[in-house]
Amino acid sequence: MSTTTLSAPRGAAAPAGKFIAWLTAKDTLATGVIMGLAILFIGFAAPFLYPPDPYAIHPAAALQSPSWAYPLGTDELGRDELALLLSGGFYTLVIALPAAILAFFIGVAYGLASGLGPSWLDKTLMRLLDAILALPSLIILLFFASIFTPNNTTLILLLGFISWPALARLVRNETMAQKNRDFVLATEQLGASQIYIAHVHLLRVMAPILVVNGTFMVGDSILSLSALSFLGLGVQPPYESWGSLLEQGLDLIALNPWWLILPPGLLVFGSLLSASLTGQGLLARFGGTR
Amino acid sequence: MSAVLKLENLTVSLPRGAAGTIPILEDLNLSIKAGEMLGLVGESGSGKTIAALSVMRLLPARGRITGHAWLDGTDLTTLDERAMRRVRGKGVGMVFQNPLSALNPSKTVGAQIAESYLVHNSVSARAARARALELLSEVGIATPAQKIDDYPHQFSGGMRQRVMIAMALSCSPKLLIADEPTTGLDPLIAGQIMALITRLRREHDMAVLFVTHDLSVVEEHADSIHVLYAGKSVEWGSSRDFFAHPRHPYSEALLGSVARVGQARLQNIEGNLPEPESRPPGCRFSPRCPYKQPDCDAAYPPPSTSTGTTAACFHPLPATARATYAEPLQKQIFAPTATQLTIQNLEVRYHSTGSFLTPAAKLPPALQDIAITLGRGECLGVVGESGSGKSTLGRAVLQMISYSGHITLDGQDFSTLRGAEKRNLRKKIQVVFQDPRESLNPRIKIGDIIAEPLRLAGKTTNLREQVSTLLGRVGLNPEMAQKLPGGVSGGQAQRIAIARALAAEPELIVLDEPTSSLDVSTQAMLLNLLKDLALDSGLSYILISHDFAVVSYMADRIAVLNSGRIVELSDTATLISAPQHDYTKSLLAAAPQLRDRQTAPAQT
Amino acid sequence: MIRMVAGRIASSSLSIVILVTLVFFMAHLTPGGPAYSILGQKATAASVQEVNARLGLNVPIWQQYFIWWWHLFQGKLGYSYLLSRPVGQLLWTYEVNTMVFYTVSIVLSTALSILFGLIQGVYFGRWPAKLIGGLQLAFYALPAFFVAAMLVLWFSVNMHLLPASGIVNLREVHPGIATYAAHLVLPVITVTILTVSALSRYFGEAVHEELGKDYVRTAAAKGITFQKILFGHVIRNALRPLVTILGLSFPYIFTGGVIVESVFNYPGLGWLMWRSSLSQDYPIVIAIVLLIGVLTVVGNLLADLVNGLLDPRARFE
Repeated sequence: MSTTTLSAPRGAAAPAGKFIAWLTAKDTLATGVIMGLAILFIGFAAPFLYPPDPYAIHPAAALQSPSWAYPLGTDELGRDELALLLSGGFYTLVIALPAAILAFFIGVAYGLASGLGPSWLDKTLMRLLDAILALPSLIILLFFASIFTPNNTTLILLLGFISWPALARLVRNETMAQKNRDFVLATEQLGASQIYIAHVHLLRVMAPILVVNGTFMVGDSILSLSALSFLGLGVQPPYESWGSLLEQGLDLIALNPWWLILPPGLLVFGSLLSASLTGQGLLARFGGTR
Repeated sequence: MSAVLKLENLTVSLPRGAAGTIPILEDLNLSIKAGEMLGLVGESGSGKTIAALSVMRLLPARGRITGHAWLDGTDLTTLDERAMRRVRGKGVGMVFQNPLSALNPSKTVGAQIAESYLVHNSVSARAARARALELLSEVGIATPAQKIDDYPHQFSGGMRQRVMIAMALSCSPKLLIADEPTTGLDPLIAGQIMALITRLRREHDMAVLFVTHDLSVVEEHADSIHVLYAGKSVEWGSSRDFFAHPRHPYSEALLGSVARVGQARLQNIEGNLPEPESRPPGCRFSPRCPYKQPDCDAAYPPPSTSTGTTAACFHPLPATARATYAEPLQKQIFAPTATQLTIQNLEVRYHSTGSFLTPAAKLPPALQDIAITLGRGECLGVVGESGSGKSTLGRAVLQMISYSGHITLDGQDFSTLRGAEKRNLRKKIQVVFQDPRESLNPRIKIGDIIAEPLRLAGKTTNLREQVSTLLGRVGLNPEMAQKLPGGVSGGQAQRIAIARALAAEPELIVLDEPTSSLDVSTQAMLLNLLKDLALDSGLSYILISHDFAVVSYMADRIAVLNSGRIVELSDTATLISAPQHDYTKSLLAAAPQLRDRQTAPAQT
Repeated sequence: MIRMVAGRIASSSLSIVILVTLVFFMAHLTPGGPAYSILGQKATAASVQEVNARLGLNVPIWQQYFIWWWHLFQGKLGYSYLLSRPVGQLLWTYEVNTMVFYTVSIVLSTALSILFGLIQGVYFGRWPAKLIGGLQLAFYALPAFFVAAMLVLWFSVNMHLLPASGIVNLREVHPGIATYAAHLVLPVITVTILTVSALSRYFGEAVHEELGKDYVRTAAAKGITFQKILFGHVIRNALRPLVTILGLSFPYIFTGGVIVESVFNYPGLGWLMWRSSLSQDYPIVIAIVLLIGVLTVVGNLLADLVNGLLDPRARFE
């Protein structure tokens, strides 16, 4: 490792530079976690704290911008947008989070099996993985969603089965890289079995990568569900999710309904941002992935 | 004759995290004349590499240099960046360690050499290429016309280093700085590189600043020597005087810990190098010095010269003392009481994994016709260069790779066993690897690492006590059990690896280059530890190394490997005094030898 | 070198075969077989039989498999009953639109990514890099539909600057280049923002990593200026991961992004995929899935080959 990292010749640091540095010096992990907790609160706790029924129709009050009566305004059917948002949050999270967890476990298991198993197993699993990875996830989602109109349970399964391949490949590559390291060989010499080694040594060494990728997967899951709902193939009526709410807003875009578009979009953005920040922050905390 | 390079009170400070910017190298004064080679010697952390980089002003952005560095009359520290760039490559050429990473992998060798010429001379591309060709043959690369368009990864380690030298020489600099150029190269190749540098030095009347931790290279080739410890100079002067009568206690200790072929004892240096943040106010070596006196801690000792070298010591060693470590070996021929390990007809073949269209190629065997018998309590040395198969032999004995032939331990042949039986027998052979950090899981506490073999064997009563005992056996404190591997030094980490191996109660330990990644003084400590442990518990060793001196110090018998075959196998004393095979002779010649210092002058 | 290329091509061909087989089986997952979806409510046992015969679905499955391949080689991708046109023809029409759209986007994105990545790598740890890093993080988290929706809201509805959807204004009889271009602006901006945030990050990291390597120090020791080191040595090596990613993006030139096209109602391949999924027009869906899969494999292959050009070490396997 070189003792000199070349960098650009120094110039005068602008005052703008100092502000930016201060802004980004804040602990990304803390920010990410706090945002994540806020989102979780919005999705799981708030719907039960806000009394109005999200699906109650008030045609007389249709398409009103935010007011005291309706804090986030109403949609074309006169439904309380804030209530819809909260309810939508609930369905978004209650589908996306279990899907992410499912995908995580499948991915890790597949990757470990491929990395630790005999060579023929590895080759076969990886070929299959390559073929699966050749298809972008949204396309596959559209395909399957077109076959059967999804209900909430099938959506969890669908999303769960989509995002595991990338993690599997990562886990497999990491396992291959780690399994021939000296400390693993030394443990083998002590008479340890493969399962022991995977469990005690490999997972511990891979923990940083797994955790970081896990957080990213949560964000991806929310994004995929929202995208699918936006296209009409995700959460189905009468239930709403952030994606479908945004789509409804977009339908009426000529009427400039910013209160229908901004909130759901910002919440999805917030979820993704918190996942990214948390992942980044964790990465920094672990001091890199080695 | 005036000096080509003169460093005057050179002090280099670097930012070190919370402590701010602290001096890493302090008050360095040295001078080199044209045609002279000075060896700047020190262990890791001594500041020697920083010194070399600071002459070229290649330090990290926030490093600060004070003092002066005169190159042929010009003070390099006062130059602006533009002027300094004109000096780099033209007035001073630099050769780095590890030539593979020091060369751009996606440019041809010819392009990179030509580039260094083109930077300082406005000539046509064709002329630069011709110069590159000329340089390639000057550094001894056969068929330069074919090699000039090859990429760095197509060259071997030694040839890559020649390319680096060619690049450094392209503008005929007055000074060549070489930072550990032979580290990591096989001994025979390293010898060739040194011979090349020496020849070029003479032909071009070039001054050479040679930075290294390897004292034997300095003894062989350098005119003068300068020893650094913890950032300050401790001794300097002519090389001949130094090796005949070192004056500073650190120098004496350092020389004592360098293994030479046929040496009887290696001297330990207790303690550790101080961190830059916590250096003692007085003499920096005094905490570890066997001759320490109260005034040594008061202030840093001024240089004191008598006959021969200059030493920064209040109580330098008298010049008439004869080095007691230079005792030749009186090795007994080891008479084993029982046979422990038998290797018969061992052959190992690696298979290249074919890609889709290219079928798996049949490679030549990594090992052939290996037959060895190891007695109980014996230490067998396995010596060879890279590619000789020595590591492969170790792995075969450890049952880590598949092989054909028979390996029998305590009468049981591994090839007849399966499953749990095989695993249990395998446990009796343990291993210590080259890189101590790699061999310990960075996320597990040291206590648990050592306890692991105990847990796996089911011996979990009084676990903590067992771990403390093991730590004590390798000379470490019980408190170490709470730390992580990242928080200990290389020497300590290797000791932990040994403790872990001992915890499995093995009969035989395979040591694969156990000291190659460590400093010289740490190496001595580790080898002595291993010797003591063997005496205590009747352990047998298979010691694999490319360093003949280390092996001759430790082993009862030595096997010399070349291209997968044993070319010579006999007891140590006979092998080093009367080698039979030509290859053995050449290896011996390249290894650091014991010299009778009173009479033999250093070769130039 | 030839060996390596041939090997990669053979390997990719195998992947394509596996892919096609996978899609074939996926195609047969459609419930009740394609016949039901085509006939919808009008399905009776007899009509199903008739459609099956016409579609050749009464034959054993392994025979269907080979017929499938045979059709593929002939370029016959099926027939959409819902839209009454051959699939191949449909794909091509929508294809062109997507290709234009995405080629512009990717070229623009690559250029901007290299620019931002360079700044980020070179000024690492200083405020320009931190600023770019912060923006990358923020923009990366923006969902595509949100960005698109915001842009439409802003520029079309509020400022009446640019058209909100479609590809040409319905009222214009002879749409010219200007109209096309105007309709492209917002979609291209959307895709560019999203792509640059990810791509520039990769490049920035690669540049930073290269600058810390030993050969850079060697070059400095030869007296070469910083700019020359950057452009003559570092960029070439830092481009490698970028090429890999661009190879992965290759399919998108042809298939587009479903979300962005749907927001803008831009009649490209992604839009087609979406509407076909909604209306359960399976022949089209399957054909597009197949197309994307093959293009991804080809994209990977191209990326590998270009990498081989850039990295001499990969050439001599």
